[in-house]
Amino acid sequence: MPPLEKPPLQNKPFKQRKSFATRKQEVAGIRSKFPNKIPVIIERYEKEKYLPPLDKTKFLVPHELTMAQFVTIIRNRMALLPTQAFYLLINKSGLASMSLTMAQVYKDHQDEDGFLYMTYASQEMFGH
Amino acid sequence: MNSVSPSAAQYIGGVMQDDLVDTRRQQPMEQQSSFGLRSPQSPDPSREPTGEPDEMDKLKAKLMSAWNNIKYGWTVKSKTSFNKISPVTVLGHSYLLNSEDEVERFRLAFVSRIWLTYRREFPQLEGTTWTTDCGWGCMLRSGQMLLAQGLLVHLMPRDWAWPDAQQLTDVDFEVFRPRSPTRAAGLPIPSFGSPRGSNTPERSNPSDQLPQRKRPECARDRQAEPIHHRLVTWFGDQPPAPFGVHQLVEIGKSSGKKAGDWYGPSVVAHILRKAIAKASVVHNLVVYVAQDCTVYKEDVVRLCDLSLSETAPRPSSQAWKSVIILVPVRLGGEALNPSYIECVKNILKLECCIGIIGGKPRHSLFFIGFQDEHLLYLDPHYCQSVVDVTQANFSLESFHCSSPKKMPFTRMDPSCTIGFYAKNIKDFESLCSAVSVALSSSKEKYPIFTFVEGHSQDYGLEGHSSNHSGPAAHILPLSKQDRSNNRRNSDEFVFL
Repeated sequence: MPPLEKPPLQNKPFKQRKSFATRKQEVAGIRSKFPNKIPVIIERYEKEKYLPPLDKTKFLVPHELTMAQFVTIIRNRMALLPTQAFYLLINKSGLASMSLTMAQVYKDHQDEDGFLYMTYASQEMFGH
Repeated sequence: MNSVSPSAAQYIGGVMQDDLVDTRRQQPMEQQSSFGLRSPQSPDPSREPTGEPDEMDKLKAKLMSAWNNIKYGWTVKSKTSFNKISPVTVLGHSYLLNSEDEVERFRLAFVSRIWLTYRREFPQLEGTTWTTDCGWGCMLRSGQMLLAQGLLVHLMPRDWAWPDAQQLTDVDFEVFRPRSPTRAAGLPIPSFGSPRGSNTPERSNPSDQLPQRKRPECARDRQAEPIHHRLVTWFGDQPPAPFGVHQLVEIGKSSGKKAGDWYGPSVVAHILRKAIAKASVVHNLVVYVAQDCTVYKEDVVRLCDLSLSETAPRPSSQAWKSVIILVPVRLGGEALNPSYIECVKNILKLECCIGIIGGKPRHSLFFIGFQDEHLLYLDPHYCQSVVDVTQANFSLESFHCSSPKKMPFTRMDPSCTIGFYAKNIKDFESLCSAVSVALSSSKEKYPIFTFVEGHSQDYGLEGHSSNHSGPAAHILPLSKQDRSNNRRNSDEFVFL
């Protein structure tokens, strides 16, 4: 059994740290400055025990970047091996195909506040 | 299944009354001899006395296995009900259980699957005092069952059924349930799931109970018995067995796992891949494990097409290796995303599917089918005594399960690995299209996983690498003084 990670300092989910109005404003601001980028929030699944926390939660991503490329970037930031299980769940529940572009995913799944929310998780272990 | 439980029962006394009664099934010969069998056989004396667990440990292990069997419902049996309205699917075949014939076909389909469970008193796992996997190895067992199913499809005749398959136990078929005082069609109810306590008369000769249809394939299947036997020996609980727990634990060390650890469906997929690559007993078979929910078709082809491999293809051998494709996925966060249920069902309906290793939270199971909103599974959590598979004609009975179990889809843990098999290139092509159709049935916007043309490296980061140098530098944990600093920074966007 791996040791339980201590929750990082900012352990509250992004949505709870900031009000809807603030978030919406933030998106509007960043979109006007960088119309070719998509604002994405990446958070660690709250019960994740195996993947390290990410130092950043907010990403500005080019439209044409594919999910495959995006996942590779995040995997690299965490220095994961290719064989290590890593999943990005959209809105905490759905998987996205690796061939999709970020623009497509954003179009289908952006939040009301204008961010695209993704949670990363590995797999559960079984033993009992 | 109570075939091999009596030794466990002795340690718990009254609690296991049921099991004691249940010794009805005659103990296969080698069961009795199984305790002493290791010493004469073990070719390697070094693993014998070193660090042998003392009597206390042995007793503890026995108590644990007995407790385990109670905890997971192997002693207090409950019946599994099957209705006659909806078909039961078992790995690509469906059975509408409204007639004796169909129940019989379902029985053969279920019982013929290879069942691998916790075992106790096997040779110590190297470098440890473990002589059982009870309490930690269930995901490895599920993985073994998945691989065994792949090997059955690979080596046995098409739609092979075990000619000696036991009668089903602890099942309740609606079709045999009397509606009125007159029994429906006068069928002999007691042959199925006889009520607890009345264990004496049954299981005499299966042919007394159900008129056994002579399947046309019967002779063919009987001829394949030696292969069936050999296949089971590969999963024996001895260090040399290529797919035994000893080997799998050894291989898992390179993934940072050791005996006693819990395993996940993705880790086990990679262990199986390495085990097949290492094994000399199976030729012409490779395992491909998908990464990031994507099967890169050219990567599969590269693995399978012998003319592409560096070693010169021997003219005698086939030009194409068969392949087991394993796709580790996560079908939701905390719980299974219900939108994926339909899709999982459609996958289990495919003939190329060899099962799904997953489970309930923390509790691994091997899913092989479903009826309505319930998954049908084989459960590894039954701790049995080790069987010495090196003895000629060892009994296969404890390697097949006669009591099908179901659980609701809603309790399925989102983490699992889905398995497929393709014999040749043509098979692989049809697999890709059949699976893609099944995947498109998901109510989610995107499929669980996808097939993609080309190699994985074609989709890498070439040209996008500006931002991923020195990745490790970005990882927490930070030292204390960094944290406040980082909190401020973390509110900034990362540009990709």
